Amino acid sequence: MIALIRSDLLPARTPRLCFALAMALCLAPFMSRAQDTTHAVRIGLTYQPGTKPGVIVLAVRGAWGDSIQGIIARDLDYGDRVEVIGLPGTPAASSLEGIGPGVSYPLWKSLNAAAAVQATVTSSGVHVAVHDVTGRKIVQVADFPLPPTGGSTEWRLAVHGVADEVEQWITGTRGVAQTRILFVRGGRVYVVDSDGFGERLISDAGLSLSPAWAPDGHTISYSVLGSRGWSIVTKDVAGGAGHTLPSTTTGLNTTPAFSPNGLTLAYSHGDEAGTDLMLVDLAGGGPRRITVGHGSDNTSPEFSPNGRRIAFTSGRAGHPEVYIMDVDGSNVELLTPFNFGDQNYRSNPDWAPDAQHIAFESQIGGIFQIMVISLRDRSVKQLTSEGVNEDPAWAPDARHLVFTSSRTGVKQLFILDSESGRARQLTHAGGARLAAWSRSLGHGR
Amino acid sequence: MIRGVRCLLPVVLLATGACFATREDVQALHTDVQTLRAGNARSDSARRASLDRVVASLNIVRDSLGLLSNRVVKMQGDVRGDLYNVGQQLLQIQELTGQSQQRVQELRASLEARQSDIASSAAPPQMSAGTPPATTSGAASPSGPPRAVTTAPAPSAGAGATPGPNQLFQISLEQLRRGSPGAARTGLQTLLQQYPTSDLVPDAQFYLGEAYHQEGNAAGADSAYAAVVSGYPTSPRAPTALYKRALGMEEKGNVTGARGLLNDLVQRYPRSDEAALAKERLRTLK
Repeated sequence: MIALIRSDLLPARTPRLCFALAMALCLAPFMSRAQDTTHAVRIGLTYQPGTKPGVIVLAVRGAWGDSIQGIIARDLDYGDRVEVIGLPGTPAASSLEGIGPGVSYPLWKSLNAAAAVQATVTSSGVHVAVHDVTGRKIVQVADFPLPPTGGSTEWRLAVHGVADEVEQWITGTRGVAQTRILFVRGGRVYVVDSDGFGERLISDAGLSLSPAWAPDGHTISYSVLGSRGWSIVTKDVAGGAGHTLPSTTTGLNTTPAFSPNGLTLAYSHGDEAGTDLMLVDLAGGGPRRITVGHGSDNTSPEFSPNGRRIAFTSGRAGHPEVYIMDVDGSNVELLTPFNFGDQNYRSNPDWAPDAQHIAFESQIGGIFQIMVISLRDRSVKQLTSEGVNEDPAWAPDARHLVFTSSRTGVKQLFILDSESGRARQLTHAGGARLAAWSRSLGHGR
Repeated sequence: MIRGVRCLLPVVLLATGACFATREDVQALHTDVQTLRAGNARSDSARRASLDRVVASLNIVRDSLGLLSNRVVKMQGDVRGDLYNVGQQLLQIQELTGQSQQRVQELRASLEARQSDIASSAAPPQMSAGTPPATTSGAASPSGPPRAVTTAPAPSAGAGATPGPNQLFQISLEQLRRGSPGAARTGLQTLLQQYPTSDLVPDAQFYLGEAYHQEGNAAGADSAYAAVVSGYPTSPRAPTALYKRALGMEEKGNVTGARGLLNDLVQRYPRSDEAALAKERLRTLK
């Protein structure tokens, strides 16, 4: 039934739409009765259990109204927690907006919508109301300030924030639209919005790799090839010169990672004795070695969300595997299972923000795929199978992952919903890899 | 005057006459010289030949030694390579053993849970009526020392319903991993009190220290770690616990105490990873 009346499957021609709406209105009482057994979520929306709530994003009048509607609708869709019900054709959408709530609710309900998002452009930003379709009332209202320059990068980021807040109201979980993703292309570090817009170069001249976000959302770190080896650089993503960590001016220093409180940086330092993980206080002080690799390579540190443990890749058992240890370097534990003589290896761990899972790349028949291991029962789940997929990085919602994939023929960044398996392409110029997802950038920048 | 000359003439003739050799004399002398030269040449030739033989022998010996040396170097390389491979295989076996132990432990915990379920469901009805079974168990007091007390089980639970050590350990570890150190600590203390002879006791004691540490109870953590080192010095957890104690001391500002514990760690467990970390810590400790 949902598929039959979903408006994005209907033609734009008015007679057929009217027929569908009339049919839906006739069936509305029965559908309403059928939904008596549904569960309530957060703000009291009702919808069929086991399905995503349908959400209509109404047209927005005023300056940049179409952009606001488009961004909110797309962000909700990319969030994978609601079913965005499109309203084909401007006239139909516009006419809905003009109808009073008493008339619109049956219509929206007939489209199987649990909620409708109504945004209105104001002098300072946007006013947003969320309607509970079943309850026939407005359940949430808020005003969001927007930067005066419509369509700018910061304006778009602010509208993403509106979408995330709406998702929070409807589902109880904040969306991840108001985030950015760092990645490397052609040896340079770039940043892009979570919806693929606003790509720009971040790194200075020189071959750069392995970017990482600081928890403040505006400081980043990456490794740069210089005359004396690879050093670690920190800089503000908004601009300015990079600052080289004094302890990393010699040797092979790569894969930096900030601690959750932003005070410490872990990185791998390589020399003739092997590669070990180092920990350095960003306020000052010398680096401290935290792995004893006995000549093996220990790389790619990732802090647990509480900052007490570190996941990393180590070749101490003959080939790379993912280990976890306490942040002081003790209590090392092999995380990824392997069999004796297994030539496939696992690497590049990324700790989920909910602390329940670690994503990593694993060779299967020599081809990398994205896997997730549960820290509770150590069960492993394979998330990808098409092409070569590597370098996973979690979104702040611990549900979406950005990763590098060759499924289109060249390496591109894709975003995957780990629950539904739905993937979307983030970048379109070839050679993108080594992505890092920021925290929610809700407070400026 | 003439008479004087006449007197001297024989003397002069006699003196100069010796300076004039005959042709035969010169020929004889020449022959002697040639003979001598030929002898010397033969002698030199013989010596040269002898020296050549010696040099050749030395070359042969040098080549042999070179070959031998190459073989030794190659053998050393092979042995080192083999040893490295053996070492890697041992490490893999060690890791796999760790994995297997973990799985075995999970299986044991699962088995214990099923046994508890079976015991609960098979408990005779009079049990639920409050018949006191003669079971002795330790009190699950979180802070008190282990003490044996006789307790009556919960009315609905049979004798086998008490979780086993593996089950307790597994549940406690899960609680610790999910950020509930209080629950983890209670479970671990119950394990230590009720199953003091279990092979899980050193691990449980160590994770008790971890739980205290997560709770912010530095004294409790130090005490638990110290119990691992003193009670189970051969456990793989012992050097880790000692290292944790030292770091705890350092956090409290007790540099002397931390230094002492780190030195103790290096001396007692010189081959442990923690000893390597401790050596570096000792260098930077102020």
